[in-house]
Amino acid sequence: MNPEYISLALHTLWKRKLRTSLTMLGIVIAIATLFVLVSISLGLQGAVAEQFRELGTDKFFIFPKGQPAGPGSSSVALMKLSDVAVIDKVPGVKDLSYAVAGNAKVEFGDSIRYTQVVGIPTERGDVFTESGAYEIDEGRHLKKDDRDVIALGYDFKRGSFFTKAAHAGDTIVINEREFRVKAVMGFRGNPGDDRLILMPLEDFRELFNSSDRIDQVIVQAESTAVVKEVAERVEKKLRSTRHVTEKTQDFTLLTPEELLDSFGTIVNILTGFLIGVAGISLLVGAIGITTTMYTSVLERTRDIGVMKAVGARNADVLSLFIIESGLLGLLGGLLGVVLGITMSKLIEHIAATQLGTTLLQAAVPPWLIISCLFFACFIGTLSGIWPAWRASKLKAVDALRYE
Amino acid sequence: MRMDYFYLVLKNIRRRGLRSWLTLLGIIIGITAVISLLSLGQGLQEAITSQFSGIAADRLIVTNTEAGFGPPGSTAVRKLASHDQQLLERVPGVVLTIPRLIRVTSIEYNRQKQFIFTGSLPKEQEAIDFIYTTFQLKVTEGKLLKAGDRGVVLLGSEVAKETLFDKEIHTGTHLKIQGNDFEVVGILAPLGNVQFNHAIFMPEDDLKTILDIKDEIDVLIVKTTSIARSEEIAADIARKFRKDRHEKEGEEDFSVQTPAALLSSVNTILNVINIVVAGIASIALLIGAIGVSNTMFTAVIERRRDIGVMKAVGARNADVLSLFIIESGLLSLLGGLLGVLLGMALAYSIASAANLALGTTLLRASFSISLMFAAVIFAFLLGIIAGTVPAWQASRLHPIEALRG
Repeated sequence: MNPEYISLALHTLWKRKLRTSLTMLGIVIAIATLFVLVSISLGLQGAVAEQFRELGTDKFFIFPKGQPAGPGSSSVALMKLSDVAVIDKVPGVKDLSYAVAGNAKVEFGDSIRYTQVVGIPTERGDVFTESGAYEIDEGRHLKKDDRDVIALGYDFKRGSFFTKAAHAGDTIVINEREFRVKAVMGFRGNPGDDRLILMPLEDFRELFNSSDRIDQVIVQAESTAVVKEVAERVEKKLRSTRHVTEKTQDFTLLTPEELLDSFGTIVNILTGFLIGVAGISLLVGAIGITTTMYTSVLERTRDIGVMKAVGARNADVLSLFIIESGLLGLLGGLLGVVLGITMSKLIEHIAATQLGTTLLQAAVPPWLIISCLFFACFIGTLSGIWPAWRASKLKAVDALRYE
Repeated sequence: MRMDYFYLVLKNIRRRGLRSWLTLLGIIIGITAVISLLSLGQGLQEAITSQFSGIAADRLIVTNTEAGFGPPGSTAVRKLASHDQQLLERVPGVVLTIPRLIRVTSIEYNRQKQFIFTGSLPKEQEAIDFIYTTFQLKVTEGKLLKAGDRGVVLLGSEVAKETLFDKEIHTGTHLKIQGNDFEVVGILAPLGNVQFNHAIFMPEDDLKTILDIKDEIDVLIVKTTSIARSEEIAADIARKFRKDRHEKEGEEDFSVQTPAALLSSVNTILNVINIVVAGIASIALLIGAIGVSNTMFTAVIERRRDIGVMKAVGARNADVLSLFIIESGLLSLLGGLLGVLLGMALAYSIASAANLALGTTLLRASFSISLMFAAVIFAFLLGIIAGTVPAWQASRLHPIEALRG
């Protein structure tokens, strides 16, 4: 292929600025849409993975089965403190903590809200407090022998939950009982953590009469490498102490990896569907390129005749036109990627400032940019093949005679 | 505007045969995508609406305020009780009150244990029948439960399938539910509300016994005398509850809702999804319109001489303008019409294929005449907008320059 062809193609595209830019616009919009969808999907998965990483990849969770609406909604399969004692003794378990959840009426200032509160054993809270996930913004973590105190998620301080912003030292009424705010935890960017109300287990039991029920156990393994192994060991041990088999098991173990996998699968299915819908616009954009190239062939029938008369082969004409349409696609893709990056960054910014979540993030890996460009160029080339082939098949005599 | 403009325009469109078709194709694909997605979305929404709760406005739903998301009553800060039901019965205009429990129970069968949503059926036959009609419960095998039945259950269609217990369950089978023996007397027909297909139903007293529930109610369903008065009765109920609980208005820890209000939140979510999907699909339409614009610009360039001749023999700017606008409008109108037809065909075949694959009759494409009209009109307007700038450019051509080529 002659490099001169490229400058020739660029020259013709430039000569028909308006048509070139309108044709490109189609590709630009289509590629930008695809880029935004993939970028946000990747960013979301990355952000969720990051939250788990902060919690620590050396941990896994155990839940009793049969909770109609998650922890705190009266499960039929109970886990108790005795289960915790069993897990504690399994080799490879470094530390553990557990939580109970209940639904409460929460009053602060002049607002009343109904939300979930979580009880944690203050003497065994290290698994939470030592992970990077629950840093303290104000005050200090709940400690052993703390009573009538709570730690709040960041949303309470931001005033997006109660009408008034709550700070360490404030008093909040939960189920008609007063609690002093000991800590406000740092911003996490996900509503689950940012709306958390933590209280000492002893207080929780009095408030909810929950005796020794447990809704969730979080286990820390000795290292990330052995998490799976330890989880299997814990599962086996619990099965034997709870007298269940694999098929009648009444509790669930979840490693962060599994949680991420199932989340990733859902996001991927959704993204796949949306990409499919957005792909339709790329198809329409491709048809636009075909139309433009076909017009271009018609307009230059005489030129083609002259080229052929002075010795150009079919292959020369073919590649000239294909290069032109490929370039159209590539340039469209280039601008599309730029627009796509801008749009996804904008979405990230709006989500963070308006919705208060840092989960919607724009991921811009180089491979995404490169594959978008390749794809756009490929689509452009493909759309140009047929008009180019027609051009190459023109007979010099007929072409020259064309009016 | 004269009729021969249309004739001229059609001739022009035909003359450029292939390119006209390609331009049309862009609009057709765009409209097809939007129409088929919206029709399927609408159909899905209707299927859910019609089966969600047999929607009749003479029913009210009373729950205590929830702290989270889940089945009614599951995250209530405190449960409703028979005291609340007695209060309801004394409100004028209330014909029937039905207490319901929605819990999870463990079911053992074929040496496996699963945790399944379990709904209660009330004690009186009248109330049971009300539940059956409201949720459109029918059996494909066996029979429905009657008042006075004990130790028997109805299974949702999915619960009976082989996928859950590795063995299909038929009527007459005995299951262990929370360790107690129950006989399956009926298998329910699949419903649009998928949660029901994954649930089982048993008499209220049985559910209370096996879960050791004393005086708790998750949700109270109220039948009122008339649809017209249901808002009024709802307000009466709220007043009575506030007084009973010593609560001020605006600080209630309960809610009285019409099913329509409950449903509207589901519909809001479905609408958002529909709009997002249709929005992404309509980007294709936008690109199609850009294609029309592009084609019209080309047409103006190609027909400079014609325009020059027209003007030389006395055509005004307005004539040239309308000629080109009609052309792009007609092009898009045609694309819109074909797109709507294709979209309907596509939505219909997708729905049929999905039903065939899933073995249901639930998914259907819903075609609304107004949507079809709107789509065609929209395509037409889009075409006119796309053609405006090129047409304006053509109309402003100076005859001498145009004739010179």
